[in-house]
Amino acid sequence: MGSRRLLALGIGVVLCAAVLTSVLVHAAKRRSVRAGQRAHGALVDATGMTDLALSSSARWLRHPSLSEPGAATADLPSSLDVDPAGALIGPPTEILRSGAPAPADGVQR
Amino acid sequence: MRRQLALIHFALGGLQRRASKSVALVLGLTLVVGLFGSTLLLTDALRREYELLADRMPDLTVQRLVAGRPSLIPEATALMIDDIPTVRDVEARVWGYYFFTAIESNVTILGTERDGESLDVAVEDGRLPRAGNEVAIGNGLADLLGLRVGDEMGIPLGTEVVFSEVVGVFGDDSSIRSADLIVARPAHARVLLGMAEGWATDLAIDLTTQDEAAVVAEHIAERMEGARVLDRRLLRRTYELTFDTRGGLMALLLVPALAAFLLLAWERLSGLGDAEQREIGVLKAVGWATSDVLLARIWESVVIATLGAVSGLGLAYVYVFFLGAPGLSDALLGWSNLRPAMQLAPAIDPLQAFSLLGAVIVPFVAVSVVPAWRAAMIDPDRAMRGGR
Repeated sequence: MGSRRLLALGIGVVLCAAVLTSVLVHAAKRRSVRAGQRAHGALVDATGMTDLALSSSARWLRHPSLSEPGAATADLPSSLDVDPAGALIGPPTEILRSGAPAPADGVQR
Repeated sequence: MRRQLALIHFALGGLQRRASKSVALVLGLTLVVGLFGSTLLLTDALRREYELLADRMPDLTVQRLVAGRPSLIPEATALMIDDIPTVRDVEARVWGYYFFTAIESNVTILGTERDGESLDVAVEDGRLPRAGNEVAIGNGLADLLGLRVGDEMGIPLGTEVVFSEVVGVFGDDSSIRSADLIVARPAHARVLLGMAEGWATDLAIDLTTQDEAAVVAEHIAERMEGARVLDRRLLRRTYELTFDTRGGLMALLLVPALAAFLLLAWERLSGLGDAEQREIGVLKAVGWATSDVLLARIWESVVIATLGAVSGLGLAYVYVFFLGAPGLSDALLGWSNLRPAMQLAPAIDPLQAFSLLGAVIVPFVAVSVVPAWRAAMIDPDRAMRGGR
């Protein structure tokens, strides 16, 4: 009975190790396959855009890096945030703050 | 070693005696780690996918703001910029959006003069456009419209329909960037977007050194009224933050996971049943030390936490990278009809895997120490009599 319990533990440990190893080996393999895919690089070289096409529900979801600083409700009426995709891809607040024209003298940014 | 084996043996016996409770705890932990892990794996893979090619963005992107909105830029502006020192190249880009009523989706129309065999690998079937009204389209769009290479695609513009010849379809490989794209020559893109000759959507600037980006941005702002200059490093940093677990649905997803985990912890803290109490009383009566009882209880928690955490991680991995996270990606990516194929490369490495497991196993075992200690300190006589 005792040895059966320890055997079950041994099998459990081996299974856990197998799951972890499989995950890590598969992840590494898939990364190396991805590194060999030239389609992504060629597409970015041809278009000059790297944004991911995860959602085209709104402009700032499709191109967070090139979205506009004003007109928060431009995409949907009275909508500041577009859910559910808006929960995954946050409004790019830093981008929206940046690139503003230099303030005139005496004007606080 | 033999003592530890004996304690583990006893702990396994305890788990076996309380099989239903043990299985429920393992399943609960599997669910929590699976849910938490799948959002973590998905967002990390998305962030990694973006970062892989973030360096290929233009060093600077210049937009023109009118009334707080990006407006078209006169192409001649490029001439005002390209004599700034360290500016190597200025490209006036033509791109924009079009709402396809037939499929109720926004598509991105993009004009490019770049072509050649080296870039044609971007297209799985066919090639990039080289002349006239040729277009290459994303496979998401091609699937929705039922188009293949050689077909003609009609786009309604006002009262007319403008036809484009599909010469290429982007594949699943690059779908995450190309699912909703229509790539055309700039002249044809202008027609599709309704943009007049001599105007551009924005300017893409290539610098000899990125270090000068801030200085060049100042020069551009001085020379161009309403200029908005975006630095590649800032765009990259923003993407690093973009997929972080922020407010909204992502946080809501984690709330039940957190609540379930706390429930499990509370269950561990909530004390002992009569049977368990009697068992400990007997053990202490036959000579078990307090530390032995404590260790046996801790081993029980280690076994449960490890099994639950590892199976949760495995489940999350299969769910995200083999099944494409159905449900989760639907919930996160919204109502858009154009969806990319989720062929993501996992970002998980040994450090991250063990961090995730540690973040579950260590607190779970830690919260079990208090009830284990309470159990170990029990008076054997009272415990066997069922007193507290």
